[in-house]
Amino acid sequence: MGHIQLNNVCKSFGTTEVLKNINLDIQDGELLILIGPSGCGKSTLMNLIAGLEEITSGNIVISGSDVSDKSPKDRDIAMVFQSYALYPTMNVARNISFGLEMRKVPKDEQENTVNRVAEMLQIDHLLDRKPGQLSGGQRQRVAMGRALARSPKAFLFDEPLSNLDAKLRVEMRTEIKKLHHRLGTTIVYVTHDQVEAMTLATRIAVLKDGVIQQLGTPYEIYNDPANHFVADFMGSPGMNFVECVVFEDKLIIESGSQNYQLAIPCSDAVKRSNLESVILGIRPEMLTDPKPHENNPYVHEVEFNVEVIEPMGADTIAIGKWNGVEVQGRLSPESGETAAKGFRLQVDTSKAIAFDPRTGQRVR
Amino acid sequence: MLNFLEKHLPKIVIAPTTLAMIVCMYGFILWTGLLSFTKSRMMPQWEYVGFEQYIRLFENPRWHVALDNLAVFLILFIAISLALGLLLAIFLDQKIRNEGVIRTIYLYPMAISFIVTGTAWKWILNPGLGIEKIFRDMGFLDFEFRWLVEQDMAIYTIVIAAVWQSSGFVMAMFLAGLRGVDDNLVKAAKIDGASTFRSYWHVILPIMRPVFFSAVVILTHIAIKSFDLVQALTGGGPGYSSDLPANFMYTFAFNRAQMGLGAASAMVMLFGVLAVLIPYLYSELRERET
Amino acid sequence: MIADKFSSINFGRILIYSILIFFAFIYLAPLYVMFSTSLKDIEEIRSGNLLALPNDPTLYAWAKAWSSACTGSECKGLAPFFWNSVKIVFPAVIISTIIGAFNGYVLSKWKFKGSELFFGALLFGCFIPFQVILLPMAILLSKLGLSNTVSGLVLVHVIYGVAFTTLFFRNYYIGISTELVRAARLDGAGFFDIFRHIFLPISTPIFVVTIIWQFTQIWNDFLFGVVYSGAGTQPITVALNNLVNTSVGGKEYNVDMAAAIIAALPTLIVYVFAGKYFVRGLTAGAVKG
Repeated sequence: MGHIQLNNVCKSFGTTEVLKNINLDIQDGELLILIGPSGCGKSTLMNLIAGLEEITSGNIVISGSDVSDKSPKDRDIAMVFQSYALYPTMNVARNISFGLEMRKVPKDEQENTVNRVAEMLQIDHLLDRKPGQLSGGQRQRVAMGRALARSPKAFLFDEPLSNLDAKLRVEMRTEIKKLHHRLGTTIVYVTHDQVEAMTLATRIAVLKDGVIQQLGTPYEIYNDPANHFVADFMGSPGMNFVECVVFEDKLIIESGSQNYQLAIPCSDAVKRSNLESVILGIRPEMLTDPKPHENNPYVHEVEFNVEVIEPMGADTIAIGKWNGVEVQGRLSPESGETAAKGFRLQVDTSKAIAFDPRTGQRVR
Repeated sequence: MLNFLEKHLPKIVIAPTTLAMIVCMYGFILWTGLLSFTKSRMMPQWEYVGFEQYIRLFENPRWHVALDNLAVFLILFIAISLALGLLLAIFLDQKIRNEGVIRTIYLYPMAISFIVTGTAWKWILNPGLGIEKIFRDMGFLDFEFRWLVEQDMAIYTIVIAAVWQSSGFVMAMFLAGLRGVDDNLVKAAKIDGASTFRSYWHVILPIMRPVFFSAVVILTHIAIKSFDLVQALTGGGPGYSSDLPANFMYTFAFNRAQMGLGAASAMVMLFGVLAVLIPYLYSELRERET
Repeated sequence: MIADKFSSINFGRILIYSILIFFAFIYLAPLYVMFSTSLKDIEEIRSGNLLALPNDPTLYAWAKAWSSACTGSECKGLAPFFWNSVKIVFPAVIISTIIGAFNGYVLSKWKFKGSELFFGALLFGCFIPFQVILLPMAILLSKLGLSNTVSGLVLVHVIYGVAFTTLFFRNYYIGISTELVRAARLDGAGFFDIFRHIFLPISTPIFVVTIIWQFTQIWNDFLFGVVYSGAGTQPITVALNNLVNTSVGGKEYNVDMAAAIIAALPTLIVYVFAGKYFVRGLTAGAVKG
């Protein structure tokens, strides 16, 4: 069915290389997220898969056949665009059926498909409207309906939710996830929103400067990032990065004008690397109120001067400094209220990681 | 094969225009350029004579009259059209009732051909029966207004008619420009204590610089090409006192069988346009890039 | 104090209105003079005043201008030349508009290597003084056997009009999302399908603008008309000029004016009914060009 392989795909515009040697094997039924900052090449990569732009070198194989030289219409792929790209003069029904019409599907079959798709997306009451008369969310549904109508081998979603307001975005996100479960069709989904990526993906590919930095499940990407960039990009609030001097197999931090030695799981690797200092990476949720624990060697208690408090509702972000660098911790709302100078902060380093300060690569 | 066709369809669609453009624009310019270096008269004769036609051109007093006229025409036509157009645009921008009607009236001459304009003004400026008579009927018995038949003044009648025809258009351009100015800017200037006049002078007009620029280029373009107006209003006369380069070119190339000389004058006109156009396009492109 | 301010505002408003209305009269005056003169007889013109209304309006001048005034050696009025202009304008407008639409579609949505260069080169064509192509074009037309023919004039107007029509359509289509084209391509639509089903239905305004622009330009053209037409194929502008400059017997200013109005009428009517589009064309053609 929808098995997409990209082999050594490169793309340049003139002399600028936008994508460098991309290798991706997207399994049938997978929902692969392409994520990265703007200009990283993720949209270009999607256009290459769709056939809207020509690859410079390498090849693209869809379900066993090489489509590198095929035009978009022969690739049997449907796409949902960021701007929705609904045909402004056609009503919703014709927007959905246009692809079938172009493929000379019989009229009655077109009608059945339109009805089926419209029902699935709950837009059956809008079929006679023009795109200009629809709300943002409705347009989004029609755009998806247009893609669904043809039952293609794969769907490409190009930042489909970025034009929606925050609440609607969350709603549609869930909807897309449900849809994917229901249809089981391969989806390649471009976004710059890491929450979207985490919640939807079966796998995530993080792109930067035309290179895939890491390809993995959301769990792997979040907990085991390949490098400083991936660690920094995923997660909100972002991971704390503090450059620390290495002392034997521990890292030294200065917090609340006292020095502490932190044990980390990758201490052997750090030792082996012979680095004088490394960048400690630790997520804010590992910096908490003191909680009971069972003699865990990775749990430390440190003095913390809270400088700023940002209540988020469910928890409270407390900002202070380690080694002169800002770090964020996640406290319970209650202790957030009272936190001040000399707060006792519990630091759990069991998931802490370390990076080489020069290269940004993981030390492991 | 089908795939090839599909891939190259856009180029195929554009091919006829490309061909026409290369041949009928650039090819022809080249051809005229080459012709201006030959001694062609009735028919093209490909005998190279160097810059002889250009020398003849600039030794021809009629060409100098045409150039002088163009200078007078350009300066007055552009200055008056800009001033009048800007004034009317600013007045029209004061939330005027029936603005649409007034705008329509100012702009309608632009829909008329220069030949009609020339014919009409030829009658209005008629010495004896035209404006002169109106004033004499009013009791100014010594009033004289015979520019149309005076060698030194005929070119100014062309300025009058051209301004009448084009100033409404300049007004429309300025009005569009004024409408594009952010209202908040005017409010900010008012809050800062600027009078209406000062806010226009110091805040709004500087923003409209590109409009000025475009208007000057367009008016220059109209002026250099204007041929019909002279033909209809004065016929270049009296004598050749109101000729413009375009009329000179037409007369020599087509009526006097002086192809080489006509070609040379056409090339000089082209370079005149380029001298205005290239800096303009250059600055436009640079602006677009930034 | 308040009353004072009030009256000063009123005074300013009155001044502005007076100036605007004064100029409205100035702009209208020539049209009025043409019209009233065309309705007078020659006696009244000689004795009366330019601005006076006709005492005894007559259509004599209109009838003569239309069917029997002399335009050079022939005396058949403007009628045959009016139809010449119609025969030139319609095909030239239609063909140049269609070509412009496709060119603009390609240059905005199907860019290829060199298409921007092509556009720049074409744009330049909007600006060249036509004197520089007059001579070679005359020779090309005679080589093609199209000298002094209506078809020849149509060809010339199409060639030199396409730069403008292309510019209009290109600038209009460039504002339409390219994602529409991409969506349609994925839906299986080809080059012409996309034009027909997506671009054509939204193109009415730009078609109107372009057609009006081309109509006005070609109807009002004199240069190409006077250079490339023969005795029987002259457009109305050339005929009008000949009519005015032919003096058989006494000068008949009323006939001149009637003829001038006849020549101006089609474009004036278009302007009155579609002025909005006309202005849009002017500013688009001028400012963007």
